[in-house]
Amino acid sequence: MTSANSAGRRKDHPFTDATEPNLLDDVFDYNLPPKIRFDGPLVEYIDGQPVQFDPRQVKSRDIFITDTTFRDGQQARPPYSIEQMVHLYDLLAKLGGPRGVIRQTEFFLYTKNDRETLDRCRALGHPFPECTGWIRADKGDFRLVREAGLKETGLLTSSSDYHIFNKLKFKSHRQCMDAYCEVVAAAFEANVRPRCHLEDVTRADWNGFVLPFVDRLMRMSEQVPPELSVKVRICDTMGFGLHFPGTELPRSVPKIIYKLNQECGVPSERLEWHGHNDFHRVHANGTTAWLYGCDALNATLFGFGERTGNPPLEGAIIDYISLKEDLCGIRTEVITEIADYMRSIHLPIPDNYPLVGRHFNTTRAGIHAGGLRQDERIYNIFDTTLLLNRPPRVNLTDKSGADGVAHWINEFFGLKGDERINKIKCHKVARWVMDQYEVHGRETSISDEELEAKVRELMPEYWEKYAPR
Amino acid sequence: MSSVLERVIRVTASVLRLDPGDIKPEQRFAVDLGAESVQSIELVAMFEEEFGIEMDEDEALAVESVGAAAEYITKVCQTQGVHV
Repeated sequence: MTSANSAGRRKDHPFTDATEPNLLDDVFDYNLPPKIRFDGPLVEYIDGQPVQFDPRQVKSRDIFITDTTFRDGQQARPPYSIEQMVHLYDLLAKLGGPRGVIRQTEFFLYTKNDRETLDRCRALGHPFPECTGWIRADKGDFRLVREAGLKETGLLTSSSDYHIFNKLKFKSHRQCMDAYCEVVAAAFEANVRPRCHLEDVTRADWNGFVLPFVDRLMRMSEQVPPELSVKVRICDTMGFGLHFPGTELPRSVPKIIYKLNQECGVPSERLEWHGHNDFHRVHANGTTAWLYGCDALNATLFGFGERTGNPPLEGAIIDYISLKEDLCGIRTEVITEIADYMRSIHLPIPDNYPLVGRHFNTTRAGIHAGGLRQDERIYNIFDTTLLLNRPPRVNLTDKSGADGVAHWINEFFGLKGDERINKIKCHKVARWVMDQYEVHGRETSISDEELEAKVRELMPEYWEKYAPR
Repeated sequence: MSSVLERVIRVTASVLRLDPGDIKPEQRFAVDLGAESVQSIELVAMFEEEFGIEMDEDEALAVESVGAAAEYITKVCQTQGVHV
């Protein structure tokens, strides 16, 4: 195999002039998020041997998203009210669409409110997301799962020695494994599918505990009907997971998926990745898990979750579409609806947060506004008006120039094509904006309300014609 | 009656706050007369108002000097039937 610094790899790249732009619009189809394409296999060295993964298979595999907004997501904030959770569940169902791209969501089962929420969500009658539970690894807790009538529940099977010895105080790996397997057996007995959450697995002793434990879970699963067989949630509890090829276990996402999927024989549809964002890798790690053979990506709305949060569900939705090259029944505009609802219940979303922040597609620089005015694709990631109901905008400062002012006015009036007002006609508003900074020494950006008032005052003929009624 | 060039100089002096006597046809709006971005837009807007014409934004903003502006405006006036 050649290495990147091999000699003799120089080659000529002949220049062919073009008089028409090559916008690469097969990949950057403006009506979809940009497609994620692969031109070859991924190679990972596992136990010293090269193993190939074909990431193109993801297009035909039944990958999906599972939600933990009401479990991990709720651990990071004051509790949602029952009404709020039922409304969010309804919105998740709309977002994920009829094919169940958002396949499941999990609920606590411990309080009266937990159970009422679950009942009311199920009463909505949506086929997806399916409601599942979450309990501690306590045999007595299966009574809660049974009473709730759930078919599946997550249970804590912490896997690192930080947890096994230092937190849970087991005396040995064997004692710990026996205890976990007793709970799994109790789940089978209760006719409930166990989803074993391998907590802290990216800091665990893989050969000493994780692999033998999962082997045992698979052997136990062979003794029960397929619908009860164990699912494995891979919990990168502290965000130590690494998506780069060539890293070592226990931190390598590719190797983790391979070992569980190929060596332990956990089928892809029973593997789920659950990440945390302590090192800013949460979204990339989640998508990587999909590519290497894990079908389920566990996520929360806007990444809210314990400490630094979980994979952002809306980001997973966009990558899902980019990988599938199709909307697959997903209603992307509901992402904006959910963000608006979150803000209305006082959940803060930073202004620059991708896809939903107030300024995620707002430009401030005049030269960018000029680009937007000529062709909005120049500075907009995709058709955000179509997919997110969020037209690209400019936020005006002294750097915005007349281009920025003209763009703001046209967007405000909703003018398209030949109807758009040129920047010459906007000169009085542009002058007012500049004077705010040059004459009055302003240091903040101009608010929409101020601009609206100025357009009304300085461009009355256009206001009369185009102002929203 | 003032010529097109005289009227262009008068408008330029007003927008850029200069003495009309200091403005020469060969001078360039941005480089020699110091017109900033927004002032260029204001110049085009004031020329439109002065002559009662509509100018193509890109063409008008591409005009660099005072003399060239007078020539361009004369051409637009002819095209739009405005007597100057």
